[in-house]
Amino acid sequence: MVTAAQVAYDVGWGILHYIIFYPPLYQLIIIPGLIAALVVVIFIIWFERKAAARVQMRYGPWEISPRTGGATQLIADLIRYTFQEIIVPRTVDFMSYIIAPNAAVIFSILPLVAVPMTSVSQYWPIPMDFSLLIAVALSTLSPIFVVMMSWASNNKFAVVGGVRESFIIVAYELIAVISLLAVVPLVSTFNLVDIVQVQMGGRWLGLLNPIALLDAFIAVIMSTSAFPFEIPDSESELVAGPYTEYSGLMYGLNMGAGYIRRWTLSVLITLVFLGGWAPYRPGPGVVAGYLVPSLIVVAKAVVVMAIMSFLRSVYGRYRLDQALSLAWEVLIPMAIAAFGISIAETYFGVIP
Amino acid sequence: MEAAPRLPGMEVRPVERHVYEVQIGPAHPGSGHMRIFVEVDGDIMVRVDPDIGFVHRTMEKLAEGRDWIKNIPLFERMAILDACNITLPYVEAVEKILDIDPPPRAKYLRTLLCEINRIASHLYGMGIFGVFLGHSTLYMWAFGDREVFVQLAEDLTGARLTHSYPVFGGVRRDIPDDFPQNARKAARYMRNRLNEYAKIFLNNPNIRKRLEGVGVLDKNRATELGIVGPNVRASGIKYDVRLVEPYEAYDELDFEIPIFEEGDSLARAWVRVEEIRQSLNIIEQAVDWLERHPREGFMHDRFWKNAPQLYKDIYNGKIDYAGKYRVKLMPLFASLKVPAGKASARVEAGRGEMFYYVESDGKNVPYRVRVVSPSFRNVIAFKYVMPGHRLMDLPAIYGSFDYFPPEWDR
Repeated sequence: MVTAAQVAYDVGWGILHYIIFYPPLYQLIIIPGLIAALVVVIFIIWFERKAAARVQMRYGPWEISPRTGGATQLIADLIRYTFQEIIVPRTVDFMSYIIAPNAAVIFSILPLVAVPMTSVSQYWPIPMDFSLLIAVALSTLSPIFVVMMSWASNNKFAVVGGVRESFIIVAYELIAVISLLAVVPLVSTFNLVDIVQVQMGGRWLGLLNPIALLDAFIAVIMSTSAFPFEIPDSESELVAGPYTEYSGLMYGLNMGAGYIRRWTLSVLITLVFLGGWAPYRPGPGVVAGYLVPSLIVVAKAVVVMAIMSFLRSVYGRYRLDQALSLAWEVLIPMAIAAFGISIAETYFGVIP
Repeated sequence: MEAAPRLPGMEVRPVERHVYEVQIGPAHPGSGHMRIFVEVDGDIMVRVDPDIGFVHRTMEKLAEGRDWIKNIPLFERMAILDACNITLPYVEAVEKILDIDPPPRAKYLRTLLCEINRIASHLYGMGIFGVFLGHSTLYMWAFGDREVFVQLAEDLTGARLTHSYPVFGGVRRDIPDDFPQNARKAARYMRNRLNEYAKIFLNNPNIRKRLEGVGVLDKNRATELGIVGPNVRASGIKYDVRLVEPYEAYDELDFEIPIFEEGDSLARAWVRVEEIRQSLNIIEQAVDWLERHPREGFMHDRFWKNAPQLYKDIYNGKIDYAGKYRVKLMPLFASLKVPAGKASARVEAGRGEMFYYVESDGKNVPYRVRVVSPSFRNVIAFKYVMPGHRLMDLPAIYGSFDYFPPEWDR
């Protein structure tokens, strides 16, 4: 005889296993995808403002909820953005104007489908054999839509911003790709799970190859136009750069896409250089095998992101040509050097 | 190219094919209301045209319809953060026509407020400069520390910004008793802070890279264009009205004029920092002098003799001075008629030489007031310094000239 409780239990178990913890869905929507990204972005923007405020001798967000230090300020901002009227200027190219921000957000979050959150093969969203390559390749898609936005906006500031963005894309993508792939000779695999497993003993690849880590870190800062590379949307000469013609939720999406991209790449850096879920060894079951390691990855990635955000209170912005010369003349040779270091370490058998 | 339509009052400028015109302003996110037409060829600016007259407010014409004393608050509106320096030459010019000389105490008090204003003005300029380069920390620091000097000015005059402090024949009121110690404390604080500014901004490798060798204005060009103030001193020219034509108490004070030879944006930023140091010295010397000398008249006898009884009681020591009494203008000011004559005066304001020419025909309003403000003389540099630089250098150069739109258009 089947009792109602049994049915409820079965249905609940089914929902938990086949819907919530169904790996592609879980990764894209919950952790580290949309929901985690939203929470993290809200936290990081709050942290960014609070940390900058601390340096700059002021309070930062405060009045909205003094007990939590103004932590809900971003939620209030989000609500405001959501209910603001979306103005579509008559001069824009409508379809691409609407599609570009949405596509930018979607493609920013897409690499997360290729990263593992655990070593238990049951919880991999896709086969992991070439996951590093897939994730890196997917992460290069979203900036194209920023250029598309600026082109669709039909605005001088937007076009200048878009041109700057495209310069920066060309510069940073090579750095990001080379420095993230620099670990491959060291571990002789593209499999992110294997890469994390190698680091289990505490030999993080970031420690073995710090130049690659530094390069990837700077490339992420450049790619998401954070300080000191906040060049495409530099306020003082281009109003908001490629986003000038956007308002309300569409502008929010644009800003969100930048932060989500930073989040995605931080997760990738965490997995490749900072040991992923190490030193924790995923056990059996959904919680021990999936939820806990993914939370560890999230925590590490948040730290990476917080460091990036803090740079705002120290640096101004570089000039475009200075940023580009830094990228082409310093960082790319460094990335290639990082490759060489990996090969040398492999030759001397640093990793057995 | 087909002929552009020509209408009366319409200016048509053909733009070359490969050139892209960007308008910085008129509602600029960093600065006030101003507009710069920039033509960029690729990323290089080929033509920069500051749109003079965009916020013109007919100050000179308005002055012709106002009583002599009421022009002081009017002229303050040119640069409210530099209010004492901006109105002082007007007061001096009128005093020349009236043929009166303010008492020494008034001179020191004016000098004191001028230097407080200069520091506040430089800090304001540096804050704007910082945010132009995306350096929000300097912006917040400079504006936060400016509060110290705004507070000093409030203690001294009763108003944070539009002090209307120098009036014909003297100043509006004397310092409160606790002012000297507050001023010394502020000077000590600010000296420490300037070192930190150098650490986070001026010696920050990122900022140095943005500023070094950018917007170089060499000696000859600076002379040719008639640049004034800290900008010309950053180009290696020792020109300062306080030096060449000392006014008020400056000839009795000991201070240096910082000179930098490079003439680039970084030098212009450093000149301001060094000037703040010198201004702090001057403030300390001025409050020392004021402390050493007993409270005495701060208003010329001609106006003081029919001052309100309250004033006289305070300064005769019958009532303790606490700086809390309401300040009233001397009765004579309301009906002041300046004898016919003409005079001019100039001072070194925060942004450079401020010049007034005043002409009177014996009525209760001026016949003519001509104002030449420092930003007006500096703005022409944009046109000659900026072309050849990249568009991203525009904020760096603009900010380094510490240029103030309301002062440009009077």
